[in-house]
Amino acid sequence: MSAARLFHGGLAVDADHAAPRRLDVLVGADGKIERAAPEIKPAAGVEVVDCTGKILLPGLFDMHVHLREPGREDEETIGSGGRAAARGGFTGIVAMPNTDPPIDSGGLVRYVRTLAREQSPVPVWTSGCITKGRAGQQLADIADMQQQGAVMITDDGDPVADAYLFRRALEYARHFDLLVACHCEVPELSRGGAMNEGARSYRLGLPGIPACSEEISIARDLQLARLAGGRIHIQHVSTARGLDIIRRAKADGVRVTCEVSPHHLLLSEDDITDYDTNFKMNPPLRTVEDNAALLEGLLDGSIDVLATDHAPHTEFEKNLDFASAPFGITGLETALPSLFSRLVRTGKLPWDILVRAFSREPRRILGLEVADFREGLPADFILFDPEASTHFSADTMESKSRNTPFLGQTLPGAVVQVVLGAELLLGRKQP
Amino acid sequence: MSTTAPPARRKDLLDIESLTREEIVFLLDTARPFKDLFDRSVKKVPALRGKTVLNLFFEPSTRTRASFEIAAKRLSADVTNLAITQSSVTKGESILDTVDTMQSMKVDYMVVRHAAAGVPAFIARHTPAAVINAGDGNHAHPTQALLDAFTMREAVGELAGRRILLVGDLLHSRVFRSVSTVARKLDMEVGIFAPTTLIPSGRPDYMQAFNTFNEALEWSPDFVYLLRLQRERQAAHFFPSLREYHHVFGLTRERFLECRRRGIRIMHPGPVNRGVELVDEVLTYEHCLINRQVENGIAARMAVLYWLQPAVTPLPDEKEEVAS
Repeated sequence: MSAARLFHGGLAVDADHAAPRRLDVLVGADGKIERAAPEIKPAAGVEVVDCTGKILLPGLFDMHVHLREPGREDEETIGSGGRAAARGGFTGIVAMPNTDPPIDSGGLVRYVRTLAREQSPVPVWTSGCITKGRAGQQLADIADMQQQGAVMITDDGDPVADAYLFRRALEYARHFDLLVACHCEVPELSRGGAMNEGARSYRLGLPGIPACSEEISIARDLQLARLAGGRIHIQHVSTARGLDIIRRAKADGVRVTCEVSPHHLLLSEDDITDYDTNFKMNPPLRTVEDNAALLEGLLDGSIDVLATDHAPHTEFEKNLDFASAPFGITGLETALPSLFSRLVRTGKLPWDILVRAFSREPRRILGLEVADFREGLPADFILFDPEASTHFSADTMESKSRNTPFLGQTLPGAVVQVVLGAELLLGRKQP
Repeated sequence: MSTTAPPARRKDLLDIESLTREEIVFLLDTARPFKDLFDRSVKKVPALRGKTVLNLFFEPSTRTRASFEIAAKRLSADVTNLAITQSSVTKGESILDTVDTMQSMKVDYMVVRHAAAGVPAFIARHTPAAVINAGDGNHAHPTQALLDAFTMREAVGELAGRRILLVGDLLHSRVFRSVSTVARKLDMEVGIFAPTTLIPSGRPDYMQAFNTFNEALEWSPDFVYLLRLQRERQAAHFFPSLREYHHVFGLTRERFLECRRRGIRIMHPGPVNRGVELVDEVLTYEHCLINRQVENGIAARMAVLYWLQPAVTPLPDEKEEVAS
């Protein structure tokens, strides 16, 4: 085991401090934080890591990641996805269960967890399906999956269309205090759609997905959650009205949390030009008014969590006409630089809210240990250089897939180190 | 004909939206002398001699394909038709494979029709050949719009201030999108009449929507443009029955007589569903422009082929000949 390390000279932000403050962090050889204070003098035998000009943030956590393994290892593996997470500043991720086969049993949860321990540099938790095979017909073995380590259940990618079955799922999950995460959409209203229905879909001649497809589904799920009393989490909220429905439910005592993706904050349907399929995802990019409403929701706490919905697809799958190409874009590596450059740097999003939504809240919601600079906790933080920049290309990205709207771009800000226990995850070749 | 310099040549024609008014007028002006050729015994000019035009149709079409084929041949180009039915294609990658294969055969122009919006644009990015959109999904059908503008101009002269009423299935219609755009760019007024289920959301607000056919005719349009109704739309609940559709939204005999009284020109992109969009008698009406649209399609497509410039670089020793 390596010696103690002193991260010296940097500024830190966390869930309670919007403005960067001077903070030195001493990490013991056991990987735990020994001390965190504005100025720590390096003792003899301590390795000093110069953090001058860098910002220390608690390790990010993404509760919505598609790792594609098992089944589509050509798109992503638990290993490559884990490395992409580290590169993006994430020290924990939750794998979605819509793999092939879907993660719908305790055995499969155990399998994914085992692969993750062997292959991923960052901890990977997994979710389990609500219904067997994600088919929406029959409950999966929910308690068994939880026992094997599933931290939530979801049929992500599809809603549970049968309202009766979904009610029972919420009630049953409540017995185990397990979070139920919902992909909200009315399939009949979205069928055939490729992008948000509106002025842009009219101009491109593409079949639209109306905003109300999502909103109706959110409203239904929240009414059922009120009835069932369980904990519900609305995934990737993309519309202003959908968010308002959640706000009202929260005020009304429904135990609901929700997430927004960086792309639904930063991009709109107006950005879809030339039928670039790296702008195709579900829910689709909405309007600039929705962008503004979602940011407001993040700032006022109506939105609890930032999550990427990292959805890798191979180039040949995405290199298609817009309507035929699959939904989804990658996000692990672009999330922090894109939010930093467009929102944090411009003063629209304070650091503390970013840390809350992208680190503390998802861990808290899932009952996991929160990352912080407190003495005695395992070291779990990242070094971010606001003066550096990150280029996104096949050569620089760890994900197996390149389907990001930021492909070819260089954005301000760079994750330069990830500190997890006694390990430094970046700056050396993969194990 | 305008004496100003012709607009710079483009590589592709993918939609009407990206064309300027000047480019549209130039294409309409260019189509005129081509049409005059049709009455001569020799209908050919050598403009595209030695060039190869590929008709790449992923969606069945007889009329549009024939129109492009004749247009290309009258410009002395060599034409190859490739009809690829969806069933023989596993989507996507194979489109690029097809394009690569065709590119290896040194095709200069690709005329592309596909059921999905954006495919011609997608192909255009991957080939140096000039790409002409011959209809993609619900997106665009630019040569149809050009031939329609040409036909309208031929019928009444200057189009600015004239009124066009578009009737029928606007939602699933690339013709509607392209024709309304060309009309707008030529300063025409655009009216629409359709069941609410078949009016696309997100349409621009310059279109005036009418609630009844009579109300729309009171607006005194110069042209009534009927759009083709796909019979299978009934199954998707856009309207209850063809009978009711014709009764409320079709050009019935009574409405046709009103059009004739007002001297309104009738247009349709074809093929027509007799007894659905219109009654039979319309087809023999003196101001029915439907056959003229077909004829003018060749001239308009000749103008487009003539104007576009493939990004195929000639060999060095050929350059002089090409430049002359």
